[in-house]
Amino acid sequence: MKKLFRYCLFVASLILIWECLARSGMYPEYLFPSTGKIFYTFIQDSSEILLRARYSLTLIFLGLGSAVVGAVILAGASISSKMVSEAVTTLMAIMHPLPGIALFPIALLWFGIGNKPIVIIIAFSALWPLIANIYNGLRSVPVTQLEAGKILGLSGSRLIFSVMIPAALPNIITGLRVGWARAWQALVAAEMVFGASGGEGGLGWLLYKRRFMMQTPGVFAGLLIIIIIGIIMENAILATVENQTIRKWKTTID
Amino acid sequence: MYNKQKILAILLGLIIVFVILAGCTQSKAPVGESKVRAEETGREKIRIAQQFGLVYAPLMIAQEKGFFEKYGLEVEWKRFGSGGAAREALASGELDAAFMGIPPFLIGWDKGVPAKVAVGYVVSPVSLVTYKSEIKSLKDFKSGDKIALPSPGSMQHILLAMAAERELGNANAFDDMLVALPHPDGCSAMLAKKDITAHFTTPPYLFEELSQQGYKEVLTGAEAFGQEFGFNVGLVTKEYHDKHPRGYASFVMGVSEAITWINHHKEEAAEILAPEFNMPKEKLYKYMTWPGLNYTTAPYGLIGFAEFMKKAGYISKLPQDISEIAWENISAFIGMREGSPSMMEQLQQRK
Repeated sequence: MKKLFRYCLFVASLILIWECLARSGMYPEYLFPSTGKIFYTFIQDSSEILLRARYSLTLIFLGLGSAVVGAVILAGASISSKMVSEAVTTLMAIMHPLPGIALFPIALLWFGIGNKPIVIIIAFSALWPLIANIYNGLRSVPVTQLEAGKILGLSGSRLIFSVMIPAALPNIITGLRVGWARAWQALVAAEMVFGASGGEGGLGWLLYKRRFMMQTPGVFAGLLIIIIIGIIMENAILATVENQTIRKWKTTID
Repeated sequence: MYNKQKILAILLGLIIVFVILAGCTQSKAPVGESKVRAEETGREKIRIAQQFGLVYAPLMIAQEKGFFEKYGLEVEWKRFGSGGAAREALASGELDAAFMGIPPFLIGWDKGVPAKVAVGYVVSPVSLVTYKSEIKSLKDFKSGDKIALPSPGSMQHILLAMAAERELGNANAFDDMLVALPHPDGCSAMLAKKDITAHFTTPPYLFEELSQQGYKEVLTGAEAFGQEFGFNVGLVTKEYHDKHPRGYASFVMGVSEAITWINHHKEEAAEILAPEFNMPKEKLYKYMTWPGLNYTTAPYGLIGFAEFMKKAGYISKLPQDISEIAWENISAFIGMREGSPSMMEQLQQRK
């Protein structure tokens, strides 16, 4: 409870500093709008903001979902075969440092204008950190735990689901966190740099439109929803998964 | 623990304040610098934005021929990808002068960006092109068709909204079909007949597309607006206009001389600029002499755009008087006729 209070106090003081600066008259509204104006715009535009947010989330879940499936398959194959492991590690060394957005011009050429290239870029951006973390997690399962499992008579899929995955879960969750962040980066960057089509644009398109209409409060309102979605994802979903699993099993400190 | 966090929060706040203050002083520094320079050397300095495209030919010629230097002006050129980006630089104090379409200028003016029209610049063909034979007018676009244009709020977007209002009764009829693409990307998508159905574009991309078999104009800018209009205007910030009157006058004369020169020497201009545009000089000459293209410092259509944009909700207020959006040389040129509006005043309206 005390922690929540401190958290709110900190956010409130940030808002206060912002408001003081905005009201000082040092900057015009198009550079530095007041918090009141931002919240007002947020409420006024909420139907469009929510629509764009829903659209963005659909694209992210499509991209991230396929990245998770791909990562699980590739990481699993790497664990079971030395040859696959070497191939995947090499591929990862090549692809991991490439920002997904850099591939967007090529994705546009191959898949056309629309959401297909965006979903593919999201999947690409999230895939490599996911594989790296899942693979590391599976590899660092303590030998003693594996042996204990085998002595208890577990083998095959039961060994994987009862021993390996629980042991690797902290890494898998880290991978999801990084993948989630990179998916958002890819989505917003793709829509802002290359634009999107009006009927089917997400939050990146909203920011892009507001930018060109010079509606700075609208740009901040768009950022606000991205922050809110991020906080919900972090605190409501990932934290719950952690509390229900690794914290309960005491595999991490705190 | 509690105190530590409190201290951290205060420190963080202070850092943010300092960073913002630092940004503020930095943005003001170049202006002071140029002032000192002017006093020392007797020359004025100006920072001008330049984008890409055929309409920027007079500026390129001025650069080659030293038309600004002739009037004692030292120019620092800054390249931008779009009028929107140039407007942001203008708003943050990184530029003294920029060229952009009337709609992007009016959006900035509405939000309080302190700059006004210093020169008209060019009247240019701008059209919506398609390769689909079944599309003969705006009514023939179906959902699923995609129309490419440079950005929301651009000249092309406003012209499309004007035509949509006139022909379909709804200015936003095409908003869900828009695809924001820079001119070169839109042009290559059109030539590949991929992804987009139509492209609202300007020379040389417009001429490139219209030279292809089966590509035609669905709508011209003049049809949408009702008469001729200025495609681009030159803006100067209030700060520069007020503090550097000599620099301002030199800027206006430099642009005027470049435009007069290019209008009388198109062949020579094509020869000078062919390498810059990366095309043969014959082709560039053909493009520079295309019917409808008119380099001129006269502004056209300033009020017509403002009235439509106010009505359609793109801006929140109207200029009561031309001098609210244009500097003295332009408002004096247009004049204020007693009784009914003069010819020059009528040219600022829509028909």
